[in-house]
Amino acid sequence: MAERVLTLSQPQIKRNEPVPVAVQSYWGMVRRRLVRDKITMFALGLLIFMVVISLASPWIGTHLLGFDPTSTDLLSRNQPPTWATDAWPLFQSFTQSCQNNAHCDWAQWGHILQRAAAGIGQCFTNGAPCHWMGTDDAGRDVLTRGVYGGRISLRIGVWVAGVSMTLGVLMGLLSGYYATTFIDDIINAIIMTLGSIPLLFLLIILSRIFQPGPEGLAILIGAFGWMGLSRLIRGQIFSVREREYVIAARAIGTPSWRIMVRHVLPNVASIIIVSAVFNIAGAIIAEAGLSYLGVGIGPPLASWGNMMQGSLGNFTDAPWLVITPGIFIFLATLSIYLLGDGLRDALDPTL
Amino acid sequence: MTRYIIRRGLQSLLLMWVATIIGFTVYQLAPGGPLQFLDSDPKKTQADVERLQRLYGLDRSVPVQYMAWAFGEDWLPATPVWRSGRCLSDPDACVHGIIRLDFGRSFHYQGQSVIGLIVERMPATFLLAFSSLFLSVVIGIPLGIISALYRGRWPDNAIRIVTVLLNTVPEWWIGLLLLIILGGYFGLVPLGGMQTIGDGSFWDRLHHLVLPATVSAIGGWIGFSRILRFEMLDVLSQDYVRTAHAKGLAPKTVIIRHVLRNALMPFVTGLGGIFLLVLSGSVLFEIVFAWPGMGRLTIDAINSRDYPLMMALFVISSFLGILGLLMVDILYSVVDPRVSYETKVG
Repeated sequence: MAERVLTLSQPQIKRNEPVPVAVQSYWGMVRRRLVRDKITMFALGLLIFMVVISLASPWIGTHLLGFDPTSTDLLSRNQPPTWATDAWPLFQSFTQSCQNNAHCDWAQWGHILQRAAAGIGQCFTNGAPCHWMGTDDAGRDVLTRGVYGGRISLRIGVWVAGVSMTLGVLMGLLSGYYATTFIDDIINAIIMTLGSIPLLFLLIILSRIFQPGPEGLAILIGAFGWMGLSRLIRGQIFSVREREYVIAARAIGTPSWRIMVRHVLPNVASIIIVSAVFNIAGAIIAEAGLSYLGVGIGPPLASWGNMMQGSLGNFTDAPWLVITPGIFIFLATLSIYLLGDGLRDALDPTL
Repeated sequence: MTRYIIRRGLQSLLLMWVATIIGFTVYQLAPGGPLQFLDSDPKKTQADVERLQRLYGLDRSVPVQYMAWAFGEDWLPATPVWRSGRCLSDPDACVHGIIRLDFGRSFHYQGQSVIGLIVERMPATFLLAFSSLFLSVVIGIPLGIISALYRGRWPDNAIRIVTVLLNTVPEWWIGLLLLIILGGYFGLVPLGGMQTIGDGSFWDRLHHLVLPATVSAIGGWIGFSRILRFEMLDVLSQDYVRTAHAKGLAPKTVIIRHVLRNALMPFVTGLGGIFLLVLSGSVLFEIVFAWPGMGRLTIDAINSRDYPLMMALFVISSFLGILGLLMVDILYSVVDPRVSYETKVG
């Protein structure tokens, strides 16, 4: 019999009607907590927005921005944003003044902002498509590539989380259940080895040798990201395995795999979910690093990391190459981090 | 304790051996073999390939190649099955093996000794790594203490927000942005490199070091302040802290003598992880800041498909990581008298 929950509406209940009974399930509680948490809802909205613009990038590219992410235009390489065409030389002379005589000519900012505002107005009024964030070293539109980049970067994030969660859960369950046997020893040895070598070196070398596509790169990154979760799960299993319900299950002859799946795994579900979410954010940042170094996703595919690679030689002359992908990364990982934070609180029944 | 140090040392040796195996396996996995870079050369002939294979000892079986690479080939039997052609014609040209710190010769840098190339770059990497380690301790410890003491109030929340924001973008991107603004537009810091050419003075070097060290310390101080906050909160709830307060000690004394001393102990173990983080991150930061260290050499080696150099860089950086963790563990066992060495290993 489920417990009765007193609600404010109770006085209005008539005698002959059945008393409403609220069954508060765990997941119901989690959902209610999440909906009430404004920051988490904002994060969820932002994440959905990022996913939608990534999925809709072909439509956005052709209809809203008017550019193709791979079509190069060698006549307009490293061009500043179209709306800043007039303001950019002034900005450059401002930075020149800072460099040369050590005190900046701040008075120029009035003109810079005036021209930029006029440029933005022009972009809206005349029908021709604007490079809102400038062009890269092959004359491709940076904003369009940023929108398209989400397809690769977010996909890699999800794939990495999938790979490392699967590995982490599997290894954690194995080493927790077969603790003090050679299986546990082997897994511990692997974790220890991977924990004491600089993994970025290995990742760079491997991804250079195999030159994988997005999925392959995700498997590579994921293969080196499961150790933390595996340790967490192993520790949790240690604390769960002596609980009464596990002993009871064992006493009535439940096979060990069933105890694992039915009784132990639900207890670590919240840990898995939260680390999966954080893992996506970590993977996006890792992919950006590898692609920036030129060993991850290569052009013509656009990813937030390889968009910055073109800036290696001329980042001061074309800062939009650095800023634009950075903003995309920031929005995506910020939403994921906040979501993970909210989930962690919502999933914790002791709070 | 001596026994613990010996066991831990043996374990590290084993790990180093495993690292050489991983490095060698990666090398063997390369599609098209180590001499793949020749494929793009239209003028190569079969004779060239064979000559290079003999020169670099690639004409032998894989286990023999590993033996020669890891343990040296000058003691192997003097037959073509065991020794490379170079060794047979000129005994002095034999590779001495990793065990004697000889990693062979580079492909790209035309026969230069690999270890020489790496040793040349090592001081730069160490300078950056240790100064950012120093900065992350200097920034991380006060932040951790403040956020633990003001838990839930505005200093804690402010530190938390900054931490989350810094975590949501790649640290090297922050470096790039600061380089553009501070270096490119305001001319406050140099645009990369370790020193102005022709000027090797201390102040010039420091000027070049400030931004790279600060930016690559971000991950470190976030990590340190988190560890310290957690440990401080743990210690603050202990009975002896309440006792110390109850017997009338000044709050400052309690924090410094009782809380901080005990909270800093587990903190030492964090050092190893952060060292590894800084070492790993050196690749990215050295590219961003044009820092002439091992990380940059790695990217150069990768772009020129210089397999001997790649393997050596991987193995040496692994050795550094393993030795760093070993030193931290030894330091910990010396600092903290409560560690029971017999149970800790295993």
